[in-house]
Amino acid sequence: MSDLDITNLKEEIAKSLAEVRTKEELEALQIKYLGRKGVLATLTQGLSTLPVEERPSRGRQINALKQSIINLFNEKLQSFKPQEKKVISFVDIGLPATKQELGRLHPLTQLIREICIIFSRLGFVVVEGPEIETEENNFTGLNIPLEHPSRDAFDTFYLKEQKLLLRSHTSPVQIRVMKARRPPLAVVVPGRVYRPDALDAAHSFMFHQIEGFMVDKNIKFSDLKGVLEVFARAVFGKDIKMRFRPHYFPFTEPSAEVDISCIICKGKGCSVCGRKGWLEILGSGMIHPHVFKYVGIDAEKYMGFAFGMGVERIAMLKYGIDDIRLFFENDLRFLRQF
Amino acid sequence: MKVTYNWLKDFVDIKIPAAVLAKKLTMAGLEVVSLEEKAGDWVFEIEITSNRPDWLSVMGIAREVAAITNSRLKIKNEILKIKSQITKSPTKLEIKVESKEDCPLYTARIIKDVQVKASPDWMRQRLELVGIRPVNNIVDITNYVLLETGEPLHAFDLDKLMQEDGLQIFIRRARPNEKIITIDAKERILDKDILVIADSRRPIAVAGLMGGKDTEVTEDTKNILLEAAKFSPPLIRKARQKLGVNTESSYRFERDVDIGIVDFASQRAQRLIQEETGAPEVLFKSQPKTIPLKKTKAIRLRTKKISAVLGFEIPFTKTKKILQDLGLKVKTKGKDLNVFIPSFRRDLNKEIDLIEEICRIHGYDFISSTRPSTIAQDIERSVFDLNFLIRDILLSQGLNEVITYSLISQDLLKKCGLDETAIFLANPLSKEVEILRPTLIPSLLTVIAHNLNHRQDLIQIFEIAKRFKVPQKEEYFLAVGLCGIKVRLTSAGRQEEKMSLLHLKGILEILFERLGIRDFGFTATSHSTFCEGRAFSINIEDKKIGMMGEMKPEILAAFDIKNQEVFLLELNLSSLYPLINLSRHFHGLPLYPEVRRDISLMVDINLGVKELRDAIIQSGRPYIKDVRVIDFYTGAHIPKGFKGLTFSCIYQSAERTLEDSEVNSVHQNILQSLEKNFGCQIR
Repeated sequence: MSDLDITNLKEEIAKSLAEVRTKEELEALQIKYLGRKGVLATLTQGLSTLPVEERPSRGRQINALKQSIINLFNEKLQSFKPQEKKVISFVDIGLPATKQELGRLHPLTQLIREICIIFSRLGFVVVEGPEIETEENNFTGLNIPLEHPSRDAFDTFYLKEQKLLLRSHTSPVQIRVMKARRPPLAVVVPGRVYRPDALDAAHSFMFHQIEGFMVDKNIKFSDLKGVLEVFARAVFGKDIKMRFRPHYFPFTEPSAEVDISCIICKGKGCSVCGRKGWLEILGSGMIHPHVFKYVGIDAEKYMGFAFGMGVERIAMLKYGIDDIRLFFENDLRFLRQF
Repeated sequence: MKVTYNWLKDFVDIKIPAAVLAKKLTMAGLEVVSLEEKAGDWVFEIEITSNRPDWLSVMGIAREVAAITNSRLKIKNEILKIKSQITKSPTKLEIKVESKEDCPLYTARIIKDVQVKASPDWMRQRLELVGIRPVNNIVDITNYVLLETGEPLHAFDLDKLMQEDGLQIFIRRARPNEKIITIDAKERILDKDILVIADSRRPIAVAGLMGGKDTEVTEDTKNILLEAAKFSPPLIRKARQKLGVNTESSYRFERDVDIGIVDFASQRAQRLIQEETGAPEVLFKSQPKTIPLKKTKAIRLRTKKISAVLGFEIPFTKTKKILQDLGLKVKTKGKDLNVFIPSFRRDLNKEIDLIEEICRIHGYDFISSTRPSTIAQDIERSVFDLNFLIRDILLSQGLNEVITYSLISQDLLKKCGLDETAIFLANPLSKEVEILRPTLIPSLLTVIAHNLNHRQDLIQIFEIAKRFKVPQKEEYFLAVGLCGIKVRLTSAGRQEEKMSLLHLKGILEILFERLGIRDFGFTATSHSTFCEGRAFSINIEDKKIGMMGEMKPEILAAFDIKNQEVFLLELNLSSLYPLINLSRHFHGLPLYPEVRRDISLMVDINLGVKELRDAIIQSGRPYIKDVRVIDFYTGAHIPKGFKGLTFSCIYQSAERTLEDSEVNSVHQNILQSLEKNFGCQIR
């Protein structure tokens, strides 16, 4: 028997094994090759016929062949053994999730942060001011004479001692900043303000405002419109329309109230916008020369714009909240919605 | 201010429907807040800004309508035409104005033989449409003319003023405690800040506000004295505030009436009275020889300035036309204009006011949108930024932010066992909101009570807000409140974690760690709000900057909180800011392994963990790197009066791997010291 015969034999067996379908067929094949009178046994017996010097090497060859054939049979046999069952532990994904406690910012703080970030990107810096103010900063400096009907829009809480008051708007910070720093200026001022309005769904004696102003040599009314457009789109969405409407504020001239197209009805007119299609969101204008004069800025050299908005109002519009008192009740079921 | 479409049409040709006009008015600054069709007419309700008293009249609004609709203002002469001539004074009438400043102009007409009856239907209807209740023809005419011209008028029953030797009218300050019963039948006590119209005996009207009851026009009135005047606005304002009455008259006088319209209005009323009550025979007019018209102001308007302010050009001819349409006289001066301001536009004082007028009539919709060039300013970390940093650290620990009112009641403070002196408001809305809070704790407790009431199991909240202290100090404070049980369903089943003071401590430790504050500590203290043994002051560098504790049950009971423990802390952020250190320095990662040895011991229950830990560190030198408490227990396996503690000691060297023998020797030192100095039983 030559080496070639051995290789062929191996291939022949592999071929037959591949065709085996049942255990019985396998057993028959096993007898044929590995049985007492099988092919391998015959080969082994044939050794004695060889010359003595060839026997050891031929014997090794046959043994190796036998081993590899046994392996092939074992492999095949393995495939007939029933698969052992794996135990799988299923997770019921319907069980409640294990969560970390999530802390949330108050919706007003979220909005204040959002608005301040928008203006920061436009180059404004955030400045805060005190809530206890003087009449000068809250009124006189802003061109609001103390005994004048224009003051009626700014009903004010006074402190019992001295002639101090709780600021009725964030505009006094304009005075503080313009007195302390020279132009160019671009500043936003968030903060609490106070007015003696009895509490109801639409009124609160405490609320938040964000004031903004920019002063430089060539600031124009049209710049105000451009900046506020960027703001309105960032807060209310790209498709929002914005308009300026003439109004009167003692500290700006010209002044404008700013409306956006109603976010509920898209300008068609609904109950939220009072069928007007527009929602007022803020007041603005060019800083009045009297204000510049008060803080010692040359109104011939510098111009500036200012605007102010009520944060609660914007939040109510943006989130569809119909009662301002909810902001201050701090019901967790309310806070968790934002 | 209410005005009707047809009434406006008396003064201006309007060719556009009411709804279109309403939009135009709104966009010109006369915000139409409602438009209603009523009785064949349209009623506009317009919000008039305080700078435009001239718009508090039909004629004033008509002037605006003319300007924005490119139409012509028509004031027909016939509305003033008086039938019979003014005769010489039949009676001796003297008008004495005490101060020209209080009353720059006072005119009076005597109209005799009037017939007081109901007004004609057309007048009654117009008045009713704009919300004025008709009374009788004389009163209605004064109201009608007030609405039409903006000049308030008042009619007195002449015979109730006349005395045998004639009539003297005084315009003077009231005397202390002088009284008058006004037409609303209320007795009003006057003082020297209130201007009155008086005869020689008594006040007959509170100037600019309301007439007296006993001189009012009634059905029996035969002769009247018709007043048309101008009073000092601040004086009327003060009287209005003092007496608490706001009338159509005071509203206009307070905003200042046009001195140029006073006599016009008086004449217009006379004409209507003549028309409506027959032909009164005797008329008399009294007014100063010259009406003190203010000198016409001229304002220089630079064409260049207009585009510099607005950011866009408006043609010169258009500019001129707008100003003329508004009733201003304009003279061209080279490229610029000189604009002359009539008496009805007292609001126009500066060039910028004219620029606004031009922009307003031209249309705000034409304002283009431009972007200013960015201004590069210094940026420094502000309190605003730090507060957000602190908020973020607290949020990451699962706390919810709340915002509560800065104004609270004195009672609420007392309910919390606090009696700090607070800043009081001079004019509080109510007792509930009368002080500026000197602490945030009562507000947070209120929020906790509210949420417990709405069945929240776990309340973890904080607020950052100003706290106010006498005399007028305001500082940012942080308050944190914890209450309830954290329930988690994990693979190990339901797990409950009750909130405790140590949770508050944990929140603070993480806050301080993130803010780079190391040298902090807690000392036991006593406090009127917190339970005995559960109140601690929070110190940084041995300075007290806050406190924390468990609320006393009796205080909780006052808030209707039962079977709950509430933990609160308050921290003075204004004192904290300067101590914040956000710089970071990298320490190389350890090159050599750490060795861990645990110590379980039993110790007197009153012995503080901090003392033990300090002692371990002290005797663990030089290799000890950290000591952590990894277990704490009392109960079943521990005798009474003792507690079990397990410390984990971490040994490490920066130079080499420590030998077991080195660690053992140091660890042995620690054990000995604990036994010797604290009587610990090592287990």
